[in-house]
Amino acid sequence: TATLPAPLPSAKMAAVEKRRPVGTPAASFTDSGRPSVSRTAAAVESEEDFLRQVGVTEMLRAALLKVLEARPEEPIAFLAHYFENMGLRSPTNGGAGEPPGQLLLQQQRLGRALWHLRLAHHSQRTAFNNNVSMAYECLSASGRKKKPGLDGRTYSELLRRLCREGCAPEEVVAPLLRKIQCRDHEAVPLAVFRAGMLTCFVLLEFVARAAALFQLLEAPGLAAADRRVGQAVLDTLEGALGAGDHAATPACYLEAGSRLGPDSLALAMDRAATGRRPSSPMAREELKKAAALFIAKVKPVG
Amino acid sequence: MLSPERLAQPDYEYLAQRHVLTYMEDAVYQLLENREDISQYGIARFFMDYFNSVCQGTHILFREFSFIQATPHNRASFLRAFWRCFRTVGKNGDLLTMREYHCLLQLLCPDFPLELTQKAARIVLMDDAMDCLMSFSDFLFAFQIQFYYSEFLDSVAAIYQDLLSGKNPNTVIVPTSSSGQYRQRPALGEAGVPEGVEASLFYQCLENLCDRHKYSCPPLALVKEILNGVQRLTFYGFLGTLSKHPGINQALGALPDKADLMQDPAMDEELERLLAQVPGLVPAVTATPELGCPPSRTPPRVGSPWRPLHHPRKVDTESDGSTEETDESET
Repeated sequence: TATLPAPLPSAKMAAVEKRRPVGTPAASFTDSGRPSVSRTAAAVESEEDFLRQVGVTEMLRAALLKVLEARPEEPIAFLAHYFENMGLRSPTNGGAGEPPGQLLLQQQRLGRALWHLRLAHHSQRTAFNNNVSMAYECLSASGRKKKPGLDGRTYSELLRRLCREGCAPEEVVAPLLRKIQCRDHEAVPLAVFRAGMLTCFVLLEFVARAAALFQLLEAPGLAAADRRVGQAVLDTLEGALGAGDHAATPACYLEAGSRLGPDSLALAMDRAATGRRPSSPMAREELKKAAALFIAKVKPVG
Repeated sequence: MLSPERLAQPDYEYLAQRHVLTYMEDAVYQLLENREDISQYGIARFFMDYFNSVCQGTHILFREFSFIQATPHNRASFLRAFWRCFRTVGKNGDLLTMREYHCLLQLLCPDFPLELTQKAARIVLMDDAMDCLMSFSDFLFAFQIQFYYSEFLDSVAAIYQDLLSGKNPNTVIVPTSSSGQYRQRPALGEAGVPEGVEASLFYQCLENLCDRHKYSCPPLALVKEILNGVQRLTFYGFLGTLSKHPGINQALGALPDKADLMQDPAMDEELERLLAQVPGLVPAVTATPELGCPPSRTPPRVGSPWRPLHHPRKVDTESDGSTEETDESET
């Protein structure tokens, strides 16, 4: 087999590459030319039967529906995650032998609930609501001894994890959690659960966007923004949210929306920047005020 | 953050744009090919591994050409794999011929067509002296645009030929477009006329092409930038500039900038680790200079990751399969 001109150390490189622990089945796909052309009708039929029998058809249909419902930005990563979660659920992939303890089961349930909750963005309300119901079901199906249902302890734990993984600073979300938390032994109805989840997701996105806005305003290297501009943003926000204080009519949402629209916000910022007040720096810390404004509007549970 | 337009797309369009069904279908084919795996690990695990490997770009390794070129993501993954596997060739400063690069490509994709490698080599060699030696980075960047924008370049070649032979390609390809404005083009092919076609006219045709092309095109703004800089240009002149343009490379997103091509600390570390496992390794391996490489190139080879692997028999035996594949295609 040494008929090639000498320079083929590459064969060895490829061997190295093959043995790299890529953690995928790709390496086993060697030489798997797709025999689609030569497949006879009978073989196709038996393959279809096979796929149906082992449940592949049903599994893929469900996965595709989830993709279409959630419309993720990166559907392939979404699918990988989807099947990973499914694998965790099946008993064959549980612990190695020993039965999982209550604590582990609880963690797995929380993980699955979080996964459901994140499948769709909260603005896709139908998909989000479906997923909230799925998460609620996940969490409600508890151990043998306990009655089914979601207790306040689990609910609070889920809220804390959401906020932690949403990278929101603890002191920012703590007031929110105090408002929408339930007592540990309380049963949490689905409506409360849904409202809590939604509020939490909206706040997390709000905080993320506020941080992004601050980053834009930030003077490079100073880690602080111009106070005049920053204050203008906060004032505009307060004005917009305050407008809805009196009546919960749809009109006040529209008014708040228009006050916060990019043009009026930009106008306020522009006015502030050209104003005569002396400039002073504003630290990122003060951003918390924005979150506080938001949280002030949240109705407490109970 | 969200890119909201995907939420408004019809289902089928959303799936097609992201090639979801291509991968789902391929996952099923792979599953049928590897039925024994699923009895061991379960179907969900199989699909998880499959989609993870698609995300990581390792799914194209050793797959058939039709699959490798099926989606832009597969093409980018293949380019990345080729670079990662063989960048040591560049690091050592080895120069290889078109046929040798083709062998390397076939190690990753056994049925890789020679025609594509030839086309890439023409970009480097400006359609001249096809048995010349090429540096790894020259070949890689030329191969990149040839492979990734293959269909686009085929159309560009047709347009160029039409322009050269005095036909107006727009009248051929888009019968509705008016062609009167192109008439003042100077007669080509006569002695004393500079070679190639007029850049601005060429650009108009390419703009038109990008508008209706269903395959990937390089960013039009960059094409414009390239063509604005010159009066006239030849086909291979254009492709050469395209392949060397850092902006095009970045837009494509598969390879690092040319300066960073040889940097991959994670990979180096891994190779070092592998080398440490090979017993009886002599660090100062004397490599026989191949390809007429000047001896001055030898020093960086010492301690280069693949060179020592060349020798111990233990490692060699594992690569027999791939060598044979390459042999068959060579003869």
